[in-house]
Amino acid sequence: MIQRQTPESIGRVVATELKPATPHQFHFWTANETTIGIGAIVKVEGPGAGDQGSGRVVFGVVTDGFAYSDLATPLHDVVGAEGDPAKAAERPTVRQEIRLWTAAVLRQEPEEPLQPVPLGAVYLASDADVAQALRMDAYLTGAQPTGIPVGLYTAAGHEAPVYLDADFLLGPEAAHLNISGVSGLATKTSAVEFLLASIFQHFPAHKGRIAALCFNVKGPDLCFLDRPGALDDADRRRYERLGITPQPFERVRYYAPCKADGVNLNTLRTHPDLVGDVEPLVWGLEEVLDFAEVLLNRDDIDAKADAFIDFLSDRVLNKEFDDGFGGSHRVQTFADLDGLFRAIFDGLELTGRSDMWRTHHIATIRKVRNRLSNISTRCKGLVTDDGPSNDLPWGRFEDRTVYVVDVANVDALGQDLVFARAVSKLREHLERRDLGVEAVVVFVDELNKYAPGDGPETYVRKMLLDISERGRYLGLVLFAAEQFRSQVHRRVVGNAGTTLFGRMDADELATPGYQVLSPATKIKLATLPIGELMVRHPHFTQPIFLRFPRPAVLRGRDGVERFPPATDLPFEDAVVRQLVRLDRRIRPNQVKDLIAERRPDDVRRALAAVRRTRPEDALAYFRRILGARVAPVTAPAREAVPPLNPISEEPY
Amino acid sequence: MARGWVDAIVAAGAVPVSYVPEASIGRQADAAEATVAELVEDAELRTHRVDAAAPAPAAVSFLDGIQQWRVVGQSGVVPLVRAYVAAAVRRRGGDRRLRTVAERSLEFAITHVEALAAPVRRALEDSGVTVVNLAATDLGQPSRTLRAAHVQVDRAREQLERQLGERCVTDLRDGEWLIVDGLLSESELLARHPRTLGVIKSHGAQFFSGADLERALTVPAGHRTSVFAPQSHAHQPIYSWYLRLWPWEGNDLLYGLLRIEARAHRETVAAAAGASGWLVQERAPVSTPDERWDRLLYAIHDVETYLRARAPRDFLSPTASRLPRAAS
Repeated sequence: MIQRQTPESIGRVVATELKPATPHQFHFWTANETTIGIGAIVKVEGPGAGDQGSGRVVFGVVTDGFAYSDLATPLHDVVGAEGDPAKAAERPTVRQEIRLWTAAVLRQEPEEPLQPVPLGAVYLASDADVAQALRMDAYLTGAQPTGIPVGLYTAAGHEAPVYLDADFLLGPEAAHLNISGVSGLATKTSAVEFLLASIFQHFPAHKGRIAALCFNVKGPDLCFLDRPGALDDADRRRYERLGITPQPFERVRYYAPCKADGVNLNTLRTHPDLVGDVEPLVWGLEEVLDFAEVLLNRDDIDAKADAFIDFLSDRVLNKEFDDGFGGSHRVQTFADLDGLFRAIFDGLELTGRSDMWRTHHIATIRKVRNRLSNISTRCKGLVTDDGPSNDLPWGRFEDRTVYVVDVANVDALGQDLVFARAVSKLREHLERRDLGVEAVVVFVDELNKYAPGDGPETYVRKMLLDISERGRYLGLVLFAAEQFRSQVHRRVVGNAGTTLFGRMDADELATPGYQVLSPATKIKLATLPIGELMVRHPHFTQPIFLRFPRPAVLRGRDGVERFPPATDLPFEDAVVRQLVRLDRRIRPNQVKDLIAERRPDDVRRALAAVRRTRPEDALAYFRRILGARVAPVTAPAREAVPPLNPISEEPY
Repeated sequence: MARGWVDAIVAAGAVPVSYVPEASIGRQADAAEATVAELVEDAELRTHRVDAAAPAPAAVSFLDGIQQWRVVGQSGVVPLVRAYVAAAVRRRGGDRRLRTVAERSLEFAITHVEALAAPVRRALEDSGVTVVNLAATDLGQPSRTLRAAHVQVDRAREQLERQLGERCVTDLRDGEWLIVDGLLSESELLARHPRTLGVIKSHGAQFFSGADLERALTVPAGHRTSVFAPQSHAHQPIYSWYLRLWPWEGNDLLYGLLRIEARAHRETVAAAAGASGWLVQERAPVSTPDERWDRLLYAIHDVETYLRARAPRDFLSPTASRLPRAAS
């Protein structure tokens, strides 16, 4: 894993009264033509280093560089050239110049007593030196190593693998990863894809099983994780150096909500060759009601609405319920719930009793009804009015499997709901230790949208705060990306044990959060090429620049070119496609004959039942469910809710 | 060893002192220069515009030396002087950067051994340091003794420069030149070499009088005087001329004025215009912050900087006050 090389002196530590060497920083000069630069890791050997038991060795990372000549003042250059810049280039002698570098101390050996850096020779760090400088020796060796390759430290034509400590990346000592950088150039998604592959291949066996849940929030970013991408020789060499097999993820489960028609999937992974792997993500009333708080904005949140939602969950949902006006309800769907609401409104109006129903004000009831019906309208396809749900495999998560939930085309409110529910369910199962894996990485892009630094307090933000502060004990690990770190809640990014930075925006770098970085490090960040990152990790006392290979998966934009999304199928064909995916013996005409002239809602309901049950004979089961539920019953005429008299000043 | 013998003589009873003579005493050699010159170019001293476009040689080496000394002990009225001299040759090649090709240094003590207290003398002899013995006639008032010590330091440096220059000149490659900071005429080997030049910045010696003197000392910038041959029995025969690097008007007569020494040969007269041309180009880059920058070639300044950077650091003037120490 570690290659040793004969060190070669590249510089010498210098110290003056104005620029002294300290225990945390030192300065050294090199030849003018040197290959080192900002971010290079160097080793200083003090006098006596190498002798047994004596000498001090210091590792540092270059944070700044200076070049100057012996020119006393720029005016003297003008005088020497007689005011002609062309003549300045013709000077017979080149002035003495210096390349002076500032380095921040990474580690001292021995660590105690902590002393100023000795004025010794400077060497470029070898693989072993890099491991020692970054304190990786503590977790790369021993009976249970916990190193996760994150990239190659690259300087002066030398490459050394850098590892993160799984105990500090995935818990329990520390956890979470935050990555920031400008769109398109920081390669945030690629970095996370590569790191997930690295984790899956190097997650220590003694730490158990691990899975990842990724939310695809824009375009086709994460839609082709199971397909191989293009790699060049340099990428393959880097993979080999890092000890990672360059291959796409072996097990990926895709989930996407349906479109409004309830049968076509709302994702860009709809190419006929791929769409069979995509599970519909459909939620009913029960799933939504658990997280109704997500749907309520700050003004909505009050004790009354909260109490009424709890009442619905505890006393009404999935129970025989007497509405107090002689009606009995078993509420399982949005349609059932709407029936209950109508019965309450009708009952109150017709009896003229009061504007209170079971201690709940009618305005509160109307508000909750509005919010719930709003979600079923805005997120039609994700939320079904009256059908059964199709959810992630809670309790059956598999080791080294990526679960992708594609919510790129879902309404923002629906995205919040998906995110809140999925993460909360993960937490519940991890607390009970019955998820199927011991740790889950949750990847969220556009973190500034879910956990903004300012703006109203939302359920999602509170939940992210909670994960970031307590998730490491549960094995619930947040990998989050955003363009502007300064716009994310401080506690969310602050709790990320590991931080990656891609190319950064100059304005972002001017914000207070980056004051600890030297101007040279900032300019390097602002000009960082694609594929390079700066990493901060608890074991590393200073930020380190790394290069990582392209992920071995098909990029989103390449994926949609190679596997162009299919156009939406007619209702019948879409139903056929879903049933054939479940049972390849089914012939399309059989299905089309079955569903001819049937109500689409009934077809959708029957299809959902087949999906949920996955029977041996899908067509027979589909036929049975369809037949049982579509008895030619004339739907009762829906009575309009009569207008209420003014009963409250509340505008609901 | 540097501090070793000083500590030894102090331990042996010498009183530790710290006195760095002022550098302004100046060199003694210039004052002893010949004062007669014979023109070898033109019938009367004239000024000539130099060939400003003359190409500099592809490779040029520059020789300079430094000297540092200080009084480090007193045995009665007899001072014990610690001296350091060094010289180096730095070569400039096609990349226009200077690199050291030869250097030498020497550290030694100067005193009048016979006048030292016995323990101090024994300590000095046991230390193994090279000792330059002053004559008994040099002892007396400190100024007299120090002047004698200064002469010894000058001699040591000049000898070191000469040795290094002679070694270097024999190694010069075809077309390569050697520029010496100071007199060329102190070495026969240097004075006879066709591609060596001496560059003299101090003008204690007077070679002309009357109108010729005025013409010599008011030579315009970018001009040289006629070549002349200083007449001296104490030095090797050479040819010489004045060369002005920067306009003197507004400053003083010697501002930017060099005197060049070269081989005493007729080819020197023919080559004076070209050599002067590329020497004028050597005024850039300027060698500030040295106060002599108007006539100090940058390459020579570079050699001096190199030597000072490598000299023992404890020759520098103490930064502490010279006030008596307070009783503890």
